[in-house]
Amino acid sequence: MGRVKHFVRLLALMVIAGGVFWRVRAQAVPKDFGKLGHFRAGAIAEAAAREPRHLGSQECADCHDSTYAAWSGGKHSKPQCENCHGPGLLHVKTVSEDSTDAYPDPIKRNKLALRPTTGIQECKWCHLKTFERPSTLKSINSVEGHITKEKGTYTPASRCTDCHDPHTTVVKE
Amino acid sequence: MNATSNPWGKSEITRREFFEKCAEAGANTFVFGAIVVTTAKLLLPSDAEARSAGEIDPDTNDVIYGFLIDTTKCIGCGSCVRACKAENNVPDGYFRTWVEQYAFYENGEVTVNSVDGGLNGFAETPKWDQPEHTDKAPVRGFFVPKLCNHCINTPCIQVCPVGASYKTKEGVVLVDPKRCIGCGYCVQACPFGSRFLNPETHTADKCTWCYHRITKGLKPACVVACPAKARIFGNVSDPKSEISELLASNRVQVLKSYLGTNPRTRYIGLDSEVI
Repeated sequence: MGRVKHFVRLLALMVIAGGVFWRVRAQAVPKDFGKLGHFRAGAIAEAAAREPRHLGSQECADCHDSTYAAWSGGKHSKPQCENCHGPGLLHVKTVSEDSTDAYPDPIKRNKLALRPTTGIQECKWCHLKTFERPSTLKSINSVEGHITKEKGTYTPASRCTDCHDPHTTVVKE
Repeated sequence: MNATSNPWGKSEITRREFFEKCAEAGANTFVFGAIVVTTAKLLLPSDAEARSAGEIDPDTNDVIYGFLIDTTKCIGCGSCVRACKAENNVPDGYFRTWVEQYAFYENGEVTVNSVDGGLNGFAETPKWDQPEHTDKAPVRGFFVPKLCNHCINTPCIQVCPVGASYKTKEGVVLVDPKRCIGCGYCVQACPFGSRFLNPETHTADKCTWCYHRITKGLKPACVVACPAKARIFGNVSDPKSEISELLASNRVQVLKSYLGTNPRTRYIGLDSEVI
């Protein structure tokens, strides 16, 4: 009889410990954990829920139709609007049809939103001369610059957009 | 042997009894173990169940995403890096995608350069015909964009102690920021350096192939931004998709194939020098 008593005590302890473990586990582990594998199934929907910030050039065309037409028909149609101007989500949300300020305050303050362009930095990203770039890509050396028939020598201090229309690359009259 | 030399005194059981008890204990252990294993099997989902849920082996899904990078087209402008940063709010100094510049010089020197991941483009080639650079005439060079390889055999998911890293049925490797404890095991496990600890959220962060965009039918931000069409993204399950056709007609390579992680990000024109 004395032997059985030891086993009953041990068994009772194990049952209590097991109960505590299951209670804590139920609290600590989310309900949907393990549904699809060793992770929280709800995390997939959460990851997919975020709002895209880059809207695509087609979205810009809704308001900026003339610029869009010039850009999409020109030689510079490969880089998208948002490559130089920044993501459009906040811009579309904040700017109304009759507003005159393209970069209203909430946009200016958010570095992730539409940004004013400099007219030279954006060009250098692609058109600065490095030998890794293909020779078919028109590129310039920032010290030498480039000589043009119409306007003489390009100087590094000036902006590309002083002569070129950035949307079409055509030299302005 | 006499009793005084045995510190335990004379044995109370015979040899026969000892062996009998050993057999009894062995049988009890076996029965107890069988009960525990059966209970665990009943309570926990089996591998087969997890497989049918599409988690372990997603290769049977209708939509399996793939990423193809044509290094011969990349011009190293960094548009992808900027687009990714803005789209995903990546903190300064950290990258979900970046561009590496490989340069080979006449004197045998090879340089790999990725200043700010290519965020501000790359510096122009120094003038090698000047006296101070005569031995540094460039022989060849190219750009290699990098991002998470979304491996089929993920070293990163298997080391996660809390189940915060997972793979969706489309083959995309993601992090659950609510579950992640920021231990950084996965950051160390990734052989491609694709993961980092986000200093703002203190959780592991990585390229998601813009999961929030691709599930809405859009392309990842870097793919849309690329002006050279060096990045191609699509459904590799569909044989008529652009990526499937390119994969079928090109010589493709993966990074660090010898590690056997089986990446879903593949490269056209990958040089043997690329690490």
